[in-house]
Amino acid sequence: MSDLLIQCENAGKKFAKSLNRSMLYGFTDIVRGSFGMFPDSDRLRKDEFWAVQDVSFSINRGETLGLIGPNGSGKTTLLKMLNGIFLPDRGRITVNGKVGALIQVGAGFHPMLSGRENIYINGAILGMSKKEIDRKFDAIVNFADIGDFLDAPVRHYSSGMYVRLGFAIAVHCEPDVLLVDEILAVGDRDFSIKCYQKMHQIRQSGVAIILVSHSEYVIREYTEQCLYLDAGKSKFLGNSDEGISSYIKDVVSKKNPAINSEKPNALSKKAVIKSLHFEDGTNNVVDYLETGNALNLIMELEVKEKVLKPIYSINFYGDNGFLYCANSFYDGLEFNELLPGKHIVKVAIPQLHLPVDQYVCSTMVAEESPVNVVDCEYQSYRFTVGRAKNARGSVKLPAQWNIN
Amino acid sequence: MQKIYEPFQYLKAGIRIWPLMVRDIIDHRELISRLFWRNLISRYKQSLFGQVWIVLMPLLMVGTFAFLKKTGVFQFGATSVPYPLFALTGLIIWQVFSTGLITGCSSLVSAGDMISKINFPRESLVFASLAQAVLEFIIKLVLLAIFLVIFNYPVTLLGIILFLITVIPIFILTLGLSLFFSLVTGIFRDTVNILSVLVTLGMFLSPVVYPLKISNNNFWLQLNLLTPLIDAPRDALLLGKVTNWSMWGVASIFSILVFLVAWRVFYIAETKIAERI
Repeated sequence: MSDLLIQCENAGKKFAKSLNRSMLYGFTDIVRGSFGMFPDSDRLRKDEFWAVQDVSFSINRGETLGLIGPNGSGKTTLLKMLNGIFLPDRGRITVNGKVGALIQVGAGFHPMLSGRENIYINGAILGMSKKEIDRKFDAIVNFADIGDFLDAPVRHYSSGMYVRLGFAIAVHCEPDVLLVDEILAVGDRDFSIKCYQKMHQIRQSGVAIILVSHSEYVIREYTEQCLYLDAGKSKFLGNSDEGISSYIKDVVSKKNPAINSEKPNALSKKAVIKSLHFEDGTNNVVDYLETGNALNLIMELEVKEKVLKPIYSINFYGDNGFLYCANSFYDGLEFNELLPGKHIVKVAIPQLHLPVDQYVCSTMVAEESPVNVVDCEYQSYRFTVGRAKNARGSVKLPAQWNIN
Repeated sequence: MQKIYEPFQYLKAGIRIWPLMVRDIIDHRELISRLFWRNLISRYKQSLFGQVWIVLMPLLMVGTFAFLKKTGVFQFGATSVPYPLFALTGLIIWQVFSTGLITGCSSLVSAGDMISKINFPRESLVFASLAQAVLEFIIKLVLLAIFLVIFNYPVTLLGIILFLITVIPIFILTLGLSLFFSLVTGIFRDTVNILSVLVTLGMFLSPVVYPLKISNNNFWLQLNLLTPLIDAPRDALLLGKVTNWSMWGVASIFSILVFLVAWRVFYIAETKIAERI
């Protein structure tokens, strides 16, 4: 069997915004088509739009592809086309091998039936024979780890248990390609980790995985390639790190004005932060750094009135939602008073062990207490931390190895 | 196993699609039986009398009509066989059509999420609902056998064989109409309501609870293709012979045509339905 599992060539799918029209179009397409008159697929009729447009990619055995993009960008529609639930309106999709899809977990579950009964039904829907399910039943139950609930009707399951059981069945049906929509977010941490480990494992056995996720971390860690969809169009296809960066750049450029307006208003303005820039270890101005390398932050201050006991702070807000902070007050440092005139504040971080992410950097000067803010530049400076060469993971840990 | 998805591929396939359609059903026979069991178990899990309803319904209806006949509210000529036997046989055959059609029509809609989230041959849902109708039919035959014993009414082996053969077309017709109307229901949910009214009307337009003789020349009854499909098996069982083979033949051929056309339409339209359900 060839290594090419899915080839998607200029696939497109259009939908009508109005329900009535979508029914009308669907009906006329079928009737006209029955008489051999095929509608012009490329043309958009009234109220129609392209949910997915001209998307091309291919995926081989053992490869992983992440699908990213804002809500409504066509990720799920694309997955459904790959799975054959929808036929494309344009282009062609070639699938070699068995596709296992988790587009909505528990979609085939019957709420009145027990977990045990649903394993057999769902397995049959996914194309497993009774023998096959019998053979894998224990593995599925072990993986799902739902305990006593196995014989309870699935309507009594929590949403997490639904996901557990659904995922367990899907990965055990031995697909050649596994399509996973954003569903693992529902499971608890332990289970998510277990799922990702399982995906890693089946991938090594040659399964290709296409994963939709809004978690940049997941895309970075678990997919090599990513496809960034925006309004149905393919905006980026390639390395996951780069794809995430270009996605985030787009998201940020849309929302940046709002961030700037969030400046606290109770500033004494005795001193003003004129500028901030980043330099690497060799004093080149940068806005990108590999994790673990040296970073210098250079802040230019114009002091108008004397500032007693100044406090300096540098904050990195990651897109992952975490704050990483260096603050002279909490370091217990006391600096001399700032006299009127221009000053340069240089913050040296010998090893910047920030996780791979996009950051906005804010900086603050306060007087005597951190709440007594003189001036701040609130989230105005962007900075990217990239993956270190010859390393795995988000952070390269500085380790000392002693072997006895 | 290579699959290619292209626009309108099922339409463009033309006649080559038939082997594919048959293959899909054969490959998925296990799925059909699973779905059938699923419906069966879940339907009666929350009801007090469970599967008893299958035989209770025709019993109650026969009781009702026997009562109406006895009190003279309903007036129709005498039947050549004891009335309860006549009505019960008619009802059992009729309910293949009525309940089969109604459950078949809603089989796609009630599967809801599955249709739009999982790729599997959707006709399995309709076929599974027909399997349900077959099972209920068999259970009701036991009831009928008990009735025959109670009334001490002899039936011949030939009659039974003829009955089992002549009753087949109504299943085929039901399956065909279910395939077609389940699609329509997928688009317009009120189809089920309209159909259940039409089915009730159909019951009185067909010789289910009254004998054909009294209104033999009635235009509607003659036109009604269900008439021979109900009459032939009933005559076969209770009288041991089929009186009007030609009418039955016409109706059977019509049923098969309905089924083939509906199956083909279903196959073309099922991906479109997934977008809209």
